[in-house]
Amino acid sequence: MESSRISKDIVRCIVESAETYIAPDGKKHSVVSLKIVASIADSQRISAKEVEITALKQGIIPRRYLRNIGTIGIDGQIKLLQATVAVVGAGGLGGTIIELLARQGVGHLIIIDNDCFTEQNLNRQIMSRESNMGEYKTIVAAKRVREINSTIEVTKFLERLARENAQKLLSGAQVVADGLDNLPSRLAVEHACRCLAIPYVYGTIAGFSGQLMSIFPDDVGLSSIYGSSNTILEQGIETKIGNPSAMPAMIAALEVQEVVKIITRVGKPVRNQILLVDATECTIDRIELGR
Amino acid sequence: MALIRVRFYSLWRFHFGADSVTLHADNIDEALAQLEEKFGSRLREKLEAYGIHLDGKIQDYSLILLNGITLRNLKSTDLKEGDVLHIFPPVTGG
Repeated sequence: MESSRISKDIVRCIVESAETYIAPDGKKHSVVSLKIVASIADSQRISAKEVEITALKQGIIPRRYLRNIGTIGIDGQIKLLQATVAVVGAGGLGGTIIELLARQGVGHLIIIDNDCFTEQNLNRQIMSRESNMGEYKTIVAAKRVREINSTIEVTKFLERLARENAQKLLSGAQVVADGLDNLPSRLAVEHACRCLAIPYVYGTIAGFSGQLMSIFPDDVGLSSIYGSSNTILEQGIETKIGNPSAMPAMIAALEVQEVVKIITRVGKPVRNQILLVDATECTIDRIELGR
Repeated sequence: MALIRVRFYSLWRFHFGADSVTLHADNIDEALAQLEEKFGSRLREKLEAYGIHLDGKIQDYSLILLNGITLRNLKSTDLKEGDVLHIFPPVTGG
């Protein structure tokens, strides 16, 4: 955000527009509504995101983020609004990740997917509907983000990520979230994230199980599990047992939480460990990874 | 012979019906042979019941870590007392 664009008049306008909200615990908050944010953005010719960030810096909370503040604080919400997160894949994991990041208020999303919705996506991919079969997942996801949170900037790439274009596509992202469905693409993302010196939140699913790990540039990563060769073409058990409806949402939610922790620095990401989630008996295990 | 623990995760845990077992073995190959003898046919039978056919031994369709490092990256396959093998199916969907 260009702070120089935010004049004292704009700050005064936001402060004068603030209302008082009394929370269930009786605590009073200065808040600003969606309508007021849009009105100020329009009249002052700045973006709604700039209005929200300016309001938060004055201790005025956009109503839409009221339920976020108790966990990440006003500073955390500002960091999220100022952040750029790339989501690679907009299917089962990616669709829910995009939905939740938009609701959480991540200011800029880069969405990468060249695939279109098909009927076999309907059981689990939250962006898919009977009426949008054949449409590009990235386009549908971007539209959904606008409907949920019009403040958020979206960059769309209708491209398949590979080792050759990964750094270009992920450039500018502060964190990358995994919505992929194959190991070679994940290895390409991990490599690119190490080159770009940004964290990669890895998530994957099959049947009633899933995995999660946040990989920072100097952390051990996928090679601890799959080996160091770049030519591994591991086929997952999902090719045999499929992907039922609940697992993408479970792992996607955990991935989003990792992204939020990384950006806000609230909490401790799952680093140098792999989290193994199994919904069959509702177990979560961690394995410490070595080099 | 070293006393080691083998921990199972996700679908393997479900079908093995156990979180872990202990084994005596000098090296990885011995440990995997014992695992195959004890659980291999049982696992494949249970998976077949779900319509899932897998060829080969457990190690052919599992990810296996020794103390958090994939067997593919190990410099030595010798085992020592207290080592832990982690074993689970590859999961790559999204």
